Amino acid sequence: MSATGAASTGSTGRAVEVDILIVGAGPSGLYGAYYTGVRGLSCAVIDSLSEVGGQVTAMYPEKQIYDVAGFPAVSGRDLVRGLTAQAAQMDPTYLLGQEAQQLHRLDDGRLRVTTSNGTEVTCGALIVTGGIGTFTPRPLPAGEEFLGRGLEYFVPSSQEYVGRDVVIVGGGDSALDWALMLEPLASHVTLVHRREQFRAHSSSVEQVRASGVDMVVNAQVTALDGGPLLEKAEITVKGQEPYVVPCQRVVAALGFTANLGPMREWGIDLRDNRHLVVDSAMRTNLPGVFAAGDITDYDGKVRLISVGFGEVATAVNNAAVHIDPHAHVFPGHSTDLPHDVPVPA
Amino acid sequence: MPYVIASACIDVNDKSCVEECPVDCIYEGERKSYINPKECIDCGACEPVCPVEAISQDRRVDPDDEQFVADNRAFFTEVLDGRDEPLGAPGGARKVGELGTDTPLVQGWA
Repeated sequence: MSATGAASTGSTGRAVEVDILIVGAGPSGLYGAYYTGVRGLSCAVIDSLSEVGGQVTAMYPEKQIYDVAGFPAVSGRDLVRGLTAQAAQMDPTYLLGQEAQQLHRLDDGRLRVTTSNGTEVTCGALIVTGGIGTFTPRPLPAGEEFLGRGLEYFVPSSQEYVGRDVVIVGGGDSALDWALMLEPLASHVTLVHRREQFRAHSSSVEQVRASGVDMVVNAQVTALDGGPLLEKAEITVKGQEPYVVPCQRVVAALGFTANLGPMREWGIDLRDNRHLVVDSAMRTNLPGVFAAGDITDYDGKVRLISVGFGEVATAVNNAAVHIDPHAHVFPGHSTDLPHDVPVPA
Repeated sequence: MPYVIASACIDVNDKSCVEECPVDCIYEGERKSYINPKECIDCGACEPVCPVEAISQDRRVDPDDEQFVADNRAFFTEVLDGRDEPLGAPGGARKVGELGTDTPLVQGWA
């Protein structure tokens, strides 16, 4: 398995069996993947994004981070690179681009997680290092029922838009880039944005203004209509009467938000709808389910990368005992174990 | 160190910040919007997009706007005008929509 996580086959019905499943491949999850190997346990790491690194990679790979223990300054990218290399020694199975959806407990006490790809992971223990949760596109309030029937949050293939009347909703770079991309192909493109000002680059805004795209500002798409497929969109400009345009395709480019998603249904004690409550051994209320990192909450919790590292090691060591009650919580020191890492000169 | 929306937002309520927030922790009141300090992850994406520069970290709020640090919190912990119980931490502004009310401080703001 390559350390960059090219492992996921994306095939449905794949069965994976490991000692520990780590949910979330951010800094805590990656360190946890390394640490399961220190305990001689096998592990798989799942993440709904297609890249490892979690919030660090997604939000600030170029930024210098000053508060990671051992690093006076380290870029997000370099930190993730180091964590990935460290984990690679233990050959974890990466299941990227898939979301952990259902959690079941088997008769023998093991846990089974089913993913959005249809992969089934059976494990002795689960460690949730999900950070701020999974990113999902911000939905278009009016007309969510047309998702897949004309409404999309992305433009994976411009072929679908040839000769169509398209409405794009949003004011950021994604919305404007798609407007420019689809304008020559579509029959008509309308760009609808809630405010007067666009968040996109001013050069993109100028280009769209100069193109055949119909820009409607201070407006929202207030309804979608059609039969089995989308046929019309209702647009309401602030302070004016709504009007209807023919429309077979809507692209809602409203950005992304993170939340716990399907994990909310797993029966884990939550705090503030965003955090998993854990004890000092990182146990949640469900036997065999542990958590570590930003996603946890307990008295005195502080959300730092360095804190997540400590918590995931605690979680792995306690999970090891859950899997084998005869095992010790503390495994010994890393200097006692063989490591294939070049010693700095 | 959550971010805080201060007085410049009042009666502007542009909401560009709402579109930037990755955890949907900015809630829309009647005259201004409010950042939920329990849900804010300190990423700072909201601060640069505010057209009236109403947003800053709680430790860096302008001395004249100090009271908005507690007020942003009060929006969620106190029972607001027209409501029966505190908002708490709903888990995302999208879940509650436009709230149509404000804290007493903002309601009375001249």
